[in-house]
Formats: sequence, structure tokens, C-alpha cells
Amino acid sequence: MICIISLIVFSLLGLFSATHRALAKEAFDCVSRRFTFRPCNTRFKEKIKSKILVYLMNRSTFLARLANKHFELFSWIFFIFVITSTFYVIKGGYNYYFYGSCNGLNQSGFCAFDPKGENNKITDINQGQCGAVEKKEENVTLSGMDLSIFPAKNIGSKDTVVLIGCYECDYTRKAYADIQKLVRNQKTNYIFAHYPAKEQTNYLSEIGYCVKKEYGERFWSFNDYLFTVDKVEIYEQDYMEKILNNFGFDIARINECVKSPDTVNIVSRQLKEMKKTHLYGTPTVFINGKAFVGPKPYRVYLHELKKFILF
Amino acid sequence: MFNLETIRQDFPSINKKINGKEVIYFDSACMTLKPRQVIEAMDTYYNQHPACAGRSVHKFGEAVTKKIKESRKNIASFINANEKEIVFTRNATEGLNLLANSLDLCSGDVILTTDKEHNSNLVPWQLLVKRKGIKHKIFRSNSDGTFNLDNFREAVRGVKIVSMVHTSNLDGVTIPAKEIIKIANEQGALVILDAAQSVAHTKIDVRDLNVDFLVFSGHKMLGPTGTGVLYGRYELLEKLAPFMVGGSTVEYTTYDDYRLLPAPEKFEAGLQDYAGIIGLDAAVKYLDNIGFENINEQEKKLNKYATDEITKIPNIKIIGPADSGLRSSIISFYIEGLDMHKIALMLDNSVNVMVRSGRHCVHSWFDDKDIYNSARVSFYFYNTIEEVNIFIDALKKITAIL
Repeated sequence: MICIISLIVFSLLGLFSATHRALAKEAFDCVSRRFTFRPCNTRFKEKIKSKILVYLMNRSTFLARLANKHFELFSWIFFIFVITSTFYVIKGGYNYYFYGSCNGLNQSGFCAFDPKGENNKITDINQGQCGAVEKKEENVTLSGMDLSIFPAKNIGSKDTVVLIGCYECDYTRKAYADIQKLVRNQKTNYIFAHYPAKEQTNYLSEIGYCVKKEYGERFWSFNDYLFTVDKVEIYEQDYMEKILNNFGFDIARINECVKSPDTVNIVSRQLKEMKKTHLYGTPTVFINGKAFVGPKPYRVYLHELKKFILF
Repeated sequence: MFNLETIRQDFPSINKKINGKEVIYFDSACMTLKPRQVIEAMDTYYNQHPACAGRSVHKFGEAVTKKIKESRKNIASFINANEKEIVFTRNATEGLNLLANSLDLCSGDVILTTDKEHNSNLVPWQLLVKRKGIKHKIFRSNSDGTFNLDNFREAVRGVKIVSMVHTSNLDGVTIPAKEIIKIANEQGALVILDAAQSVAHTKIDVRDLNVDFLVFSGHKMLGPTGTGVLYGRYELLEKLAPFMVGGSTVEYTTYDDYRLLPAPEKFEAGLQDYAGIIGLDAAVKYLDNIGFENINEQEKKLNKYATDEITKIPNIKIIGPADSGLRSSIISFYIEGLDMHKIALMLDNSVNVMVRSGRHCVHSWFDDKDIYNSARVSFYFYNTIEEVNIFIDALKKITAIL
């Protein structure tokens, strides 16, 4: 048993040290002999056992005696730990690569590959404030949400990407570029929904709606701009007028649209529809209906489309 | 003047540390350490005149020929033999194989060995049992491993060859060789002594012993590995047919015939290990310089002290006589039911004490006695009481946890 444990442990250590590499080779020889029903003739087990016992002996005779007496039992326990932790390390690595978190899709908790949890950070819509919040495990879903009332680029693809984000949210801003790249490169349908996570950007929902209504496809470049411009510029409506002006939009026409009861109704409806998803923070991205909460690495979005998933 | 501190300076391998601890080498029965004089002598060959001896007439060739001749003379003198009686071999094992294959043995001839023979002095005869139908008899030691001369007088009757280990590498017991040879010769038997374990620890005088053949290895007497000597009384060597032939063994050849060189050359086929022989010569000189009285005194002191301390540790059993004076420089011990490799590994890992563990190439004895294996401590003159103390302390700790 100690041979198998040693093979795993020394193989990992051997990545960094030549001494451990030699021990890993010896352990491999021992393990391969065991698996082929040949005796392990390198005395590898005894060597490792003696090193452990000497280490313990120099600290506590009692511990050394205990380890010697129950060496096989301890080996088994350690073996189970090693196998279990190896499984979780591999699973964690897999999850991190495909979902952006060691603990699985949208799962927070410590991840060695993403110790600060950057891939799960969201703006909590319930607090109405930007900032990192703890993961909540609601079942976020698109079912029941009427997507037809949101700005969309429908190019007839079988794949559809829905981004629910806030212009002001740092994490949406982080995800936004990757989503645009994904939509552009993979040629998917794309629906954008603005969820104002902070009160001072509520008015942008109406403006966005009106730009789309009045100027059609020119909305998308305006939308891109709002996600890249300094956040200070979108907090104040005075600045917004400058932006609209720069884009060549008729401010009076936009303002008239914003004040229209129809606009208020539709923006309010949009908000209600978004809440049907049970989303709890921005950004929330749906790729063919599957929710990704927080700004995931590009590869995570890509692999969802490519479906290169093992488990 | 035997100055241990000065002597230890000659051995580079014990003057170094591993993992911050000094090296304590207690495996000299397997292989002694090499003094720098031996290493330098070999270096000199390779640096100064790395050529063939006995055939090339150039300056390098002449220099090596002279050096090998001198070495043969010195090594012969070391055991009080004539230089013509010294055959260079690779080790004692080769010497014994040479004899087993060269002696005129026929079906029914009886070979007598002890019950503690190294495989080198067992398997060659067992092979002849199968090939030629000779008879191989085992002479049993006393229960404490000592030799029983009275029983030997009976056992030697009708025996053609007595081939015995002089000092056992298993328990360190030395047989009364002179008496054995006298009795055997009276019965018309030839005697071969395996002196691999004795030649480095006691003065061997082949004339005084009146032994017929004697073999030893260089690596157990401070010399290089791959060197050994077969001594044979010249009249016997002359009669022996060579075991291996080829270059250096013949005076001349035709397509149909050959004429062998006289002994010892006829036994030394192929190019010899010149550096090794020169190193062995240096080892012999070094031993002569230290003196066997000093060597014996130091070894006895170490063995007595270590034996006294080991016997205080519960459950340890020493193989061989209780009297350390009868065990040369060897203490072979075991604990019932314990694989002694574990002890050896832990001694090595904890305090860099290097001892031998296993069956020491005497599997037959362990098999007969139903003992799994033993750990063997073997001292040499370069070891110290302080080293023994470190060993004993570690052994006490280890046996307490195993």
C-alpha cells in the first residue's frame, strides 16, 4: 500500500525535485511489480517505512512504536486520504477549467486556483450595492422569462447567449468583453438585459430601451460604450446627454421616449421578467439556458457552446 | 605507533558527513574502505603509464611490467609465499572456481566443506556433484559455531579435497587451520583455505600453515575491487590444468597446437587488472605498515565492547560463540521473527551506521538453522569506540520500537 501512496506523493513532488523523481521511479517499479503479481524486490516499502520510523523515533518513541505496529493500517488510511484528495484535486481542476470554480458551476467557497473568487464575484441585486457577496444557491433559470421584450440580435443560430448585467457593475464590465467576443466568434444569437443593480443607474434602462427603439441597431455600439466608459460618466444624467449627443442621437427625441408611459411600462415589465429568473446578482449569463453567475473566464463560456464536458 | 586519528585521515570515505552526520562504516567484512595510498597508487598507473605489462617493449610497457612483478613479489611476501605461487584472480570466488574446475576430480571423489561456507565455496562443488558425480560432504560445526577437531579426524577419512573457510564471514569464527591441514594431509587430502575473511585480520603464513591452496580477495583487505589471489604450492600449480586460457597463458601457438606458459602465467588469461594489482600491492604495504598486532588489538577491543553492550539489549541473539575473542571482528545478530533488513535500514537512516543485513551469502546455514536473516557488524582497525557507542544507542532505540 505504501508503494502506491509513495508513487502518488513522490510523482507530485518529483515535478519539482530530482531526488523525489528517483523515489517515484522506484515506487513505480514496485507498483508495477505488484500489479503484475511479481514480488517487489527493491525493498522500497522497507526503505520508506524506515525513514518514517526514524523521523518519528527522533521525536517520540511512543509514536514510532505505534506507527510500526499499525503501519499497514495507517498506510490504508493515508491511501484513502490520498485517493480522496487526489480525486477532489482533479475534480477541482476540472471544475475550475470548465466552470471557473473548483467547487462547480456558480459555486463559491475556497478555490486554490482562484483564491480570491474572482470568477464568482457578483453585484448583489438584493442589497443594491456593488461588491463581492457570498454565493447564494437559488436555482437561476430562464424558463418563464419572456425574452422578446429585450434587445436582441437574432441571426438564426442554434445557440443563444443572454447577458443580464448592470452598466455600473464592475463584474458585468469584466464579463462583457468576453461575451461580446463569444457572440462575435461563435456567431450566436444574443440578448442583452440591463438590470440596474444600483439605484443611480435605474434611468439607464429607459435610455437604453429608447435608443434601441428610436435608433435600432445603433443601440449596440451605444451599449458597448456604456460598458467601457468611466463609471462616473454614467452616474449623472448631464454626462449622459453629452454621450447621447456624441453618438448623434436626438436628445429631445430620447427624452420624450423616456417620459412616455409605454417606456415606463415596458422597462417595468423587463424588470419583472428578469426577476422571474431568480437571479441574485450581476452579471448572470445564460448560454442555451444554462446560467453562469459572475464573470467566468472566456474558456468557460466557450466550452459550454462546444460541449466538451466530461462530467 | 598506532595512531588511530592519523590513520583515519587516510580514509576519505569516513571523513565526510551525510545529512550532517558522520559516516560510521561497520561493513568491512563485505568490503573494507580504501586508504588514499591505494587510490593514489591506482591513479599513478592510469596517470603515468597506462599500458600493457609483459608484452609491449616501450617505456610504458616496461614500467608496468616492472610494477606488476614487484607487486607479485610483495603480495607473495605478505603471505610468505614464492612469487611463482601467486596467481592473480578477480576475487576469492574466481580462485575457488579455478580450483574446482582445474583439479583432477572424478566421480566418487569426496570434497569436504564446513557448514558455514560462503556460496563461493559451496556452489562450485555442488556444480561438480551434478557434472562429474563427485561427493560433497558437509562438516558440522559445534553448536556455538566453533570447529570440532575430534570430529574432523573422523570426517576427513577418504576425502580427496578439504575446502574450508578460514574465518567465517557469518560469525567470525576462525578454524584451527594448521591442525586441520596436518590431519588432512596425513589422510592424503589436499586443503584449500578460503582466506577472504582472514587475510586482512591475521597474519597468514602459507609455509607455516603448510596449506596447499589459499584464496583471498583484494577488496576485503583495503585493496581495489576486482582483485584477488590464488596461492598454490608450486608443484601443485604445475600439475593443475588451466581453467581459462587465451592471451598471456601461452608461450606460442600454431594452427594445431599450443605451448602453455608455466604457472602462474598459465592461469592468468587475458589482460590483467594492472591498476587493481598495483592497488592491491599498496594495500598490502599499508597493512604491513599498520601491523597485524595493532589490527588485532583494535578489533578485539571493539568487538568485546560492542558484544558486551549488545548482549544487554533484550531479545538480541548473537550468532556464534559468546566469547567475542573467538569471533574475529564480526558480530552477527538477529531477533526472532524480525527481518533484520529493517534494523540495518533504520541504523543507516538514523545515524549513518552502515551494517550488512541478510544471509551474507551463507543461505545454506540460515536455511538449516531456520533463521530468517541477521544483521552483521564487522569492524576494522579504523573504527572507534565512539562509533560503537553511537551504534549501540541507535540500536537500543530501534529495537525498542520494532
